[in-house]
Amino acid sequence: MIRFNNAGVFVPADDQAQEPRTILAPCTLELTESRIAVIGANGSGKSTLLRLLNGLVSPSTGTVTVHGFDTVRQAKAVRQRVGFLFTDPLSQLVMPIVAEDVELSLKASHRNRAARSAAAQQALASLGLGHLARRSIYDLSGGERQLVALCSVLAAGQDILVADEPTTLLDLANNELLQATLGTLEQQVIYATHDLDFAAAADRALLVAGGRVVFDGAAPEAVDTYRRLVRNGSLAS
Amino acid sequence: MSASHQMLLGHYLPGTSPVHRAPLLAKYLVVVLVGTAVLAFRVPAVGLGTLALGVGLFALAGPRVLRAWAAPLRQLWWIFAILGIYQSILNTPLFALTLVSGMLAVIQCGRLVLLTTTQAALLDGLERAAAPVRLVGGSPATIALAVALMLRSIPAIATSVQELSDAARARGIGRNPATLAAPVVINTVAYAQRTADALAARGIMERN
Amino acid sequence: MTTPGQHLYVQSPARIGARDLALVSVFAALIAVLTLVPAVPVGALGVPITLQTMGVALTALILGSLRGGSATALYVLVGLAGVPIFAKFSGGLGALAAPSAGYLLAFPLAALVTGALATLVLRKATRRRFPWLFLAAMGGSILVIHPLGILGMSLNAQIPLEKAFILDMAYWPGDVVKNLLAAAIAVSVFKAFPAFARRRFRA
Repeated sequence: MIRFNNAGVFVPADDQAQEPRTILAPCTLELTESRIAVIGANGSGKSTLLRLLNGLVSPSTGTVTVHGFDTVRQAKAVRQRVGFLFTDPLSQLVMPIVAEDVELSLKASHRNRAARSAAAQQALASLGLGHLARRSIYDLSGGERQLVALCSVLAAGQDILVADEPTTLLDLANNELLQATLGTLEQQVIYATHDLDFAAAADRALLVAGGRVVFDGAAPEAVDTYRRLVRNGSLAS
Repeated sequence: MSASHQMLLGHYLPGTSPVHRAPLLAKYLVVVLVGTAVLAFRVPAVGLGTLALGVGLFALAGPRVLRAWAAPLRQLWWIFAILGIYQSILNTPLFALTLVSGMLAVIQCGRLVLLTTTQAALLDGLERAAAPVRLVGGSPATIALAVALMLRSIPAIATSVQELSDAARARGIGRNPATLAAPVVINTVAYAQRTADALAARGIMERN
Repeated sequence: MTTPGQHLYVQSPARIGARDLALVSVFAALIAVLTLVPAVPVGALGVPITLQTMGVALTALILGSLRGGSATALYVLVGLAGVPIFAKFSGGLGALAAPSAGYLLAFPLAALVTGALATLVLRKATRRRFPWLFLAAMGGSILVIHPLGILGMSLNAQIPLEKAFILDMAYWPGDVVKNLLAAAIAVSVFKAFPAFARRRFRA
């Protein structure tokens, strides 16, 4: 369970004498639903909200906890429970060979090389990617790459997955493949997306605008609110 | 992308010869021995002898490898020619022959290692060679990870160069490397930041 | 919204290791890519003029002494191990036998020097950084790259130091141009990432 206790993010005044900027106004949230979508314009604070969930960004005020672990003081425990999937799988995949990348995630939990390799193979097979194990990540399609990145993230055994616009770079077929795969996961999935159909399928949605959570509730309603705000221009900053 | 592909795959020519199967350490030992001999004894017999030894090892590695022997001469011949003429005047023609043959011998033995060893085996060797950094508190695994990260960044940066050069041409700016270089480097920094986030998110290199 | 006080700012905790590793590795890759952008062979001994030295200067200016030196050392190490990332897709220990070996081995040391000089001048100058960064890059060239390059050429090609010095002069004009370029690029990188100039590399 993820809890925001009045958590907000500011950028301090810079050398160049800029005013302090609010990236995300303090908010209190409890995220328990199995599928939660985060929608909003580019630069609205979506990514910051997601990055707060695993300690990639620390709150300037308030706290964020995951299963009771503080994302700042207990960052390691949090990262063991929260996986993060980025938009661009190529900036996420580290090793050149698919299986090697998954093994890298398993290094902490499996000291033995053979056991690690077997576990990687099993993790790939569980997402239907077994046949890609020996391939170079450069030979994969965009969709395959994103699925491999997903596999690497989940291999470490996290029970929460945070995904920052995971389908943005994918074509229609790969987009649907990734959405279907995400749909089968047991993990809690919290995702930002510009794909409003994808967002509407969630159990709950947060609409972020101008660094504030302006709507929090049923996903279809959140999508409708977002459409309305864009149409009457209230999102123009 | 062919350039970055060549980098990722290296110069390896598959084979099953004794040279291919020899342990990497033995191959490097040959390079070091040849290099030391050439440096220590500047006499024609050693220069020409090691050069001949190199050709013999190329032959032992199979016809495909042997055919690749002359490849670097296409680019290097005039360096050797200038060096040869220069040393003939400065010293003696015999000394020029010694020097050029010795230099070529070491370069060729070094190439033979690359031609008969997969890139993966070479990098494994690097990780093992890095083991002594443990003594000063370093970690060979971190070095291995740095190498892997570096190699996988090369195609990404090369692609960014390509895309920015296409974008510049589309806007009619042309391919002036000076206008291109700054955006390439800025993209590279942003790419490094994304990589760092991804590493952190995966708990790699966690400090606490 | 509460007024953010001194302690309220974006932090990226516990990630210094990952961030340093990423910067060092990615800049080592940048040097490799710049090296392999088609080379212009110049000079009597054909030590090719590439953007390699620009890559080294740039890395040092942007990352500073230790990170820049590590990135450059990683590049040289991986090349010597056999990945073809030296000029004209060469690599391996054989590179140490070529007349250009001294330049190659000088790079990490030059990056340490240039990086330290750059950090020093960046602390003093917040505007008009370009000439200072250029001088920092030239410092690494003049103090390290050329002396060691000359030494290497003299040893490997068995020519007297003064003759090697004259041969080395063929690279001076290109070097000045490349250091000018490196300084200009560094200035625009510091505009995009102002914290880098203060040697703070957090996102």
